[in-house]
Amino acid sequence: MAAVGTYSRGRSTAASIRLSLLQFVADPQWLLPSMIAPVLFGLVSFELFRGEGPYFLTYAILGAGMMSMWGQTLYGSGWATGQDREWGTLEPTIQAPTPYLYVVLGRVVWNVLSGLLGGLIVYVVVVAAAGGPPTLPNPAAFALMFVFVLLTLAAVGVVFAAFYVYTRYAGFIQDIGEFAFYVGTGCMFPVVILPFWATPVSLFFPPTWAVDALRYLAIPGYVGFSWGVGWDIVGAIATTAVYLAVAGLIFHRVERHVLEEGNLSQY
Amino acid sequence: MSSGPAIETRGVTRVFESRKGFLFREKSRTEALKGVDLTVERGSIFGLLGPNGAGKTTLTKILSTLLLPTAGTALVLGHDVTRETDWLRPRMGLVLGGERGLYNRISARENLRYFADLYGVPPEARERRIDEVLERVGLIGPASDQRVEEFSRGMKQKLHIARGILHRPEILFLDEPTIGLDPKSARETRKLIRCLVTDGVTIFLTTHYMFEAEELCPKLAVLSKGRIVARDTVDGLRALVGGDRTFEAEAYGFEDEEVARLRAIPGVSKVVSESYGPTTRLTMRVRTTEATLDDVRSRLTGHPELSLRERRTSLEDVYLDLVEEEAR
Repeated sequence: MAAVGTYSRGRSTAASIRLSLLQFVADPQWLLPSMIAPVLFGLVSFELFRGEGPYFLTYAILGAGMMSMWGQTLYGSGWATGQDREWGTLEPTIQAPTPYLYVVLGRVVWNVLSGLLGGLIVYVVVVAAAGGPPTLPNPAAFALMFVFVLLTLAAVGVVFAAFYVYTRYAGFIQDIGEFAFYVGTGCMFPVVILPFWATPVSLFFPPTWAVDALRYLAIPGYVGFSWGVGWDIVGAIATTAVYLAVAGLIFHRVERHVLEEGNLSQY
Repeated sequence: MSSGPAIETRGVTRVFESRKGFLFREKSRTEALKGVDLTVERGSIFGLLGPNGAGKTTLTKILSTLLLPTAGTALVLGHDVTRETDWLRPRMGLVLGGERGLYNRISARENLRYFADLYGVPPEARERRIDEVLERVGLIGPASDQRVEEFSRGMKQKLHIARGILHRPEILFLDEPTIGLDPKSARETRKLIRCLVTDGVTIFLTTHYMFEAEELCPKLAVLSKGRIVARDTVDGLRALVGGDRTFEAEAYGFEDEEVARLRAIPGVSKVVSESYGPTTRLTMRVRTTEATLDDVRSRLTGHPELSLRERRTSLEDVYLDLVEEEAR
């Protein structure tokens, strides 16, 4: 009977994306954060920034876009792992030959895609409210950077997902750090307006660099980090690479740890 | 296929440590397995019996690479479960069963598609294989496209089994596979298990159902409080507890001297007395040909309401004898 199958990383990641999509479609609760919330954020943001200079539309789109995308992209993968624990599906998934990292990667890709959907909804809502699109100095560069911001959030998300495998208390830790991370990475306000001691801590996170670069590209006259957009991009790429490398390393160790602890079925 | 046993464990021990409290953390230590030695031959069904908390699931999880032993070695298909998981996982199936462990909001078929991809079932064979396992467990048809959350417990159990055999494992770990199944489905599951063995799969089965173990497992082990207390064929285990036949004598009370006389009959290995309201039942384990019901009757005179019964010692008798002995 034995016919040993060989897992493929790409196929496992694709299976994980597909599972995320199926669960998204099957569960109406996802409509709220991914489709209804961006509409509300877009409208509120438009009203908040209305009349704040020539680039108020860009500010409104960036503010609302980050609000609707960051949480899902950053924490979606970890949260899904937490659900695996709760549903008892973490054990059979870990027991499968595919390393769990590729399951998480699939979820990250899905969350990036659904984050983009949220961003697109915000864009459409704000543009409809304003009666026209914002003025962007370099739309192509902006669009590229926009996607890259999501990838930097996702890179941190992979590391966070490892905590969900490690311990059932990861959700508690996330809830404590959520707002601090949101503010600290400049998703809400530019990091330069935070207290001086906050900047060195913020620089450990890839989104800090990427969001600053995005603002540079979108808003003429924006005053962010003094080193400018070029080094922002370099910093974002470097820190993202470090996060992905760390994720690869710690996932293997975390898997080993949970097999030692025997807590995979606890939630 | 390589030779050697399917499973070989030496001194497998597993300790769980847990902490309670917030400010003043209290550490507790539970020794779930205490030096388990076990050998399971390839292509057979091996049954592991034991009361709740005996360590059956812990041992199953160690053997299926979901848990590391604290001490000892465990080889499955000749490979170490702690160091050679990449080699082992595609070759083993695990059915833990129960209400959890499935994606409830998607269909049975989609659950299987997902795990088929994770197990590396060849893409061109995936749909055929899914139909095949759904057919084998009796979930083919409209049920296969139904959301799992609409399934009964028995249907979920069948889906667990379907997932366990989807990638055609060489060895299958079944942790109480018929729990929650109606008698017809349980019988079909036992039939499926026998078919899998015919196909060459080694089955490691834990169960609480003695008749199931007796029907399926040529060899058995009894695990109690983390230790293997007996390991043999069903007949071997009967011999171990002192007799393949069981006599039961029931009357309105027995004197101590009468019980002593019964114990003295050659071939009677054990006499247990239990009271049921006004009546007392004496249960005797007896070796065939050495003692008869007439021997018992001749030593229990003066009991007009005496009822005597002879039956084959069941696996449940054997199991209870072994577990109770270990508890003492």
